Amino acid sequence: MRRIEALRVITSATADLPVVATCAATSRELAAVADRDNHLYLLDSMGLTSSVGTGLALGVADSAVEHVVVLDGDGSLLMNLNALATAGYLLPEALVLVILDNGSYASTAGLPTYSQTLDLGRIAEACGLRVARADDTAGLAAALTAAFAEPGPTVLHVRTEPGNAPDIPLLLVDPVVLADRFRRWLTARMAGRTDSPERWADEVGEVGQ
Amino acid sequence: MSVTEDRARGVAEAIDRLECGRVGYVPSNTVAPIILRLEETDRARGGTRRVFPVSREEEAVGIIGALPLTGAFGAIVMQDNGFGNALTALTTFSLAYHLPLLVVANTRGGLGEYNSMIHAVSGGVPDLLAAVGIPTFRLDRRNSPDDWRETVYEAGRHARMTFRPVVVLMEFWDGVAGGRRA
Repeated sequence: MRRIEALRVITSATADLPVVATCAATSRELAAVADRDNHLYLLDSMGLTSSVGTGLALGVADSAVEHVVVLDGDGSLLMNLNALATAGYLLPEALVLVILDNGSYASTAGLPTYSQTLDLGRIAEACGLRVARADDTAGLAAALTAAFAEPGPTVLHVRTEPGNAPDIPLLLVDPVVLADRFRRWLTARMAGRTDSPERWADEVGEVGQ
Repeated sequence: MSVTEDRARGVAEAIDRLECGRVGYVPSNTVAPIILRLEETDRARGGTRRVFPVSREEEAVGIIGALPLTGAFGAIVMQDNGFGNALTALTTFSLAYHLPLLVVANTRGGLGEYNSMIHAVSGGVPDLLAAVGIPTFRLDRRNSPDDWRETVYEAGRHARMTFRPVVVLMEFWDGVAGGRRA
């Protein structure tokens, strides 16, 4: 399974859920598959994706949003492996952490990561997190369905082939725009709103006011 | 109650008044009284997990810094040497995405600091934060405990109003009454 094939499966299952994606090729491929208001692309912030997802999962607690989907890579997660320990300590029920593990830093010359010899799923289990595994599209679809059927946190350890999809355009969007559209979408969903963003864009208050 | 305790109480009161949904901290002897007071408040409210430890400062920025995307607001309590760890997260996430965040940090690079090594990073923190455009307010022995409380509170409001991270650097050294450090 190539990463972009995994992302197609994930986007088909997450139209109504917040999705935060790690930087570089993963975010670009996700936006190429589907660029939606419920996507938050981290354009840099190396290693921070799982932590941001943990914060979002804490933030949506007791709201109408039951799951937050985090798309991290093996290289990105290894830059902040603490995130697994913190998730295992805090146990945010909304967290669904998808590790797209291609065994390499695919955005930086394809250099190998530790995951070629270390099992990130087992490390997550050692942190007290429930782990499911998938290495093909059918398995991934089934694992997502199972993850969304009950409270988390859940980790999906997904093995993909090395490499990036060809001819994917850069994401040349101001992060402020990305954050604002994501926040408007998410806060409305947290309040139980599912109608058009244009209808509630002016109704959603500013942060913490 | 000592002046140091009054300051810690004031900082905790300000964080409470700001209605911070979550408070992440990286441990330090100096900020421990602030954490203990916040936890005391939580216990009085029936026991929530509003306040929790985080293993490193950049992770705290990721977790607490993401809260505004859910309509909430949070604070980080840490030592200023941790800005060395947190700088990429603060700039490429909180600053770049315009996400308000309050960071209160005790200083390790000024008067009263016994550790010769830590000055090497902490002494440069104010300039470091200025260089990347993070607003920073400073408190020390010349400020009354009431001023500590009100400065932290207003810094939190400033973060919200300007949609960016704001730092309060707190030098707990007391001059002739000093003697405690992390």
